[in-house]
Amino acid sequence: MADLTTAGEAGPPRAAAADRGFATTLIRTGSVILGLVVLAVLIGPLLVRWGPEEIDAAASLAPPGGAHPLGTDVNGMDILSRVLHAGRLDLGVAVASVALAVVLGTLLGIVAGYRGGLVDDVLMRILDVFQAFPAFILALAVAALLGGGVPELILVIALVNAPAYARLVRAEVRTVRELPFVEASRTSGSSGLGTLWRHVLPNSLTPVRVIAPLNCGWAMLTLAGLSFLGLGVTVPTAEWGAMISLGSADVVAGRWWTSVPPGLLLLVSVLGFSLLGEGLQERAGVTR
Amino acid sequence: MRIARFTARRLLQAVPVLLGVVVVTFVLVRVLPGDPIRTILGPNATEADAAAARARYGLDQPMWQQFVDYLGGLFTGDLGVSIQSGQSVMGEMAVRLGPTLELVVIAVTIATVLATVLGIWSARRAGRAGDHTLRVLALVGNSLPEFWLGLVLILVVYSGLGWVPAPSGRVDPDTNLSLITGADLLDAVLTGNGPAFASAAGHLVLPVATMVVVIVAPLMRSVRASALEVLGSEAYRAAAAHGLPERTLLRGYLARAALVRLPALAALVFGFAIGSTVLVEYVFSWQGFGQWALRGLLFRDYPVVQASVVVIALCYTLIFLIADVVHAVLDPRVRI
Repeated sequence: MADLTTAGEAGPPRAAAADRGFATTLIRTGSVILGLVVLAVLIGPLLVRWGPEEIDAAASLAPPGGAHPLGTDVNGMDILSRVLHAGRLDLGVAVASVALAVVLGTLLGIVAGYRGGLVDDVLMRILDVFQAFPAFILALAVAALLGGGVPELILVIALVNAPAYARLVRAEVRTVRELPFVEASRTSGSSGLGTLWRHVLPNSLTPVRVIAPLNCGWAMLTLAGLSFLGLGVTVPTAEWGAMISLGSADVVAGRWWTSVPPGLLLLVSVLGFSLLGEGLQERAGVTR
Repeated sequence: MRIARFTARRLLQAVPVLLGVVVVTFVLVRVLPGDPIRTILGPNATEADAAAARARYGLDQPMWQQFVDYLGGLFTGDLGVSIQSGQSVMGEMAVRLGPTLELVVIAVTIATVLATVLGIWSARRAGRAGDHTLRVLALVGNSLPEFWLGLVLILVVYSGLGWVPAPSGRVDPDTNLSLITGADLLDAVLTGNGPAFASAAGHLVLPVATMVVVIVAPLMRSVRASALEVLGSEAYRAAAAHGLPERTLLRGYLARAALVRLPALAALVFGFAIGSTVLVEYVFSWQGFGQWALRGLLFRDYPVVQASVVVIALCYTLIFLIADVVHAVLDPRVRI
């Protein structure tokens, strides 16, 4: 679980010279992994015989092989089909929630950083309250209170992440707004909003671009974790965390196929985001 | 004296945050949809039953009155009565904290030692194969869903190999362990109960291993980063150039500098650990604080939700505060 607040603010100065070759390898590997996962969840569902919620009444907990290449769960639903369909939901929610968090956080950060003064103080104290919890605990509490449903979950994960982006952007804006080219834009008669949009904003988003991929991985883990605890997406909807939860009863009996495949795909996808994010960080010289 | 002033200032800053947490949780649990009385009484309860229950827990009072009562209770250490069980929230929480703290403390200790050794090792080989391998492994650890890792460990080590006891509960009830602190390993030592100690240790292996894998990764990154910083510093290079023995360099320069950041790291890790413990306890039926808080949330048990959220926020804020103070003691620049 990435704690974003430490990323831009408190990190040590660029410690070692960036390891460029390694950074490139990380970025490439991460991109390839993510590309393969996206391809699999986009095309895969078209190739499988069973629907994600289709019940094969003759086969409950069937081991892998035959009509069900990865077996079936306790309800007689095809694991392969479910795992592939679930990927669409998991990836979609992760990307959507991070995008929403970036937009929300950036807006807050710009307002706080550019206006300063009382507005800044009030906004920052509100963010303090949100950040007085470990991120997953906050997600858990808000999800429990808001109730499950995909739009609610996107909102929950976005809300939990937005404060970190707000802080990152605010810190950048405070530096950028003092730079000569911003001054130049202002004195040349450009409106406040124009300066903000054309000069301050684009130059304040570097750390956000670096952190966002890592954050997508965290968002996937959060969604799956919430669903695993019964606070997110619920069965029969195909979602990796919910599938692992349903399969957890089989594990004690030694049945691996209900919970291992969804977890493996989750791990691989998150790893893709992590490799990409780590590579971008290394290249940007951000150490954490 | 400056340290005392710094501590006082940080404490004062924490007060409005915690007050904010108290108000926000109080309002949110009540404003958002969901009714604990209906959830707990079930569908067969009549309107009169619900009204009686509501009166019993003071939920028929106006909201400001409830808030005043709640705030008054907070200052006298009275956290109210659980709607699910009718028991005192304080008493329930006391029983639940021991097992969770035991899990978290053991896991964090092992992870810290492991992360320090691996992080320094990795930094000294920066850019070489060993460093790259370790960093990729750390990324894998960072990407592992802990609840799934726990299940895979159960699958392999319990179902497959049969090396550990079944993943339910913390100690074999046959060992007649008497409850003192709730931390079973500690209780077994205190009562000199050998079989209980063995049983508790057996039950701890998999949950601790799960948590260590998940928290060692971010810790290691951090240790590596600070070790790299030291390796690039003039002081270290001067010491190395003067031909100081390897052992002195490692202990006197590298390890110490990496450990200076330990308080901040510990605070960070504590946050990870609290989040993970909810999932890990659920997987291993640990019946600790995390599972208790989770059930409170699911049942919308107002006093339990309020108490657990405020306690977590309090611990989290205090740990960061302590970390800041220790950091200020070690690094005078912070105090300005």
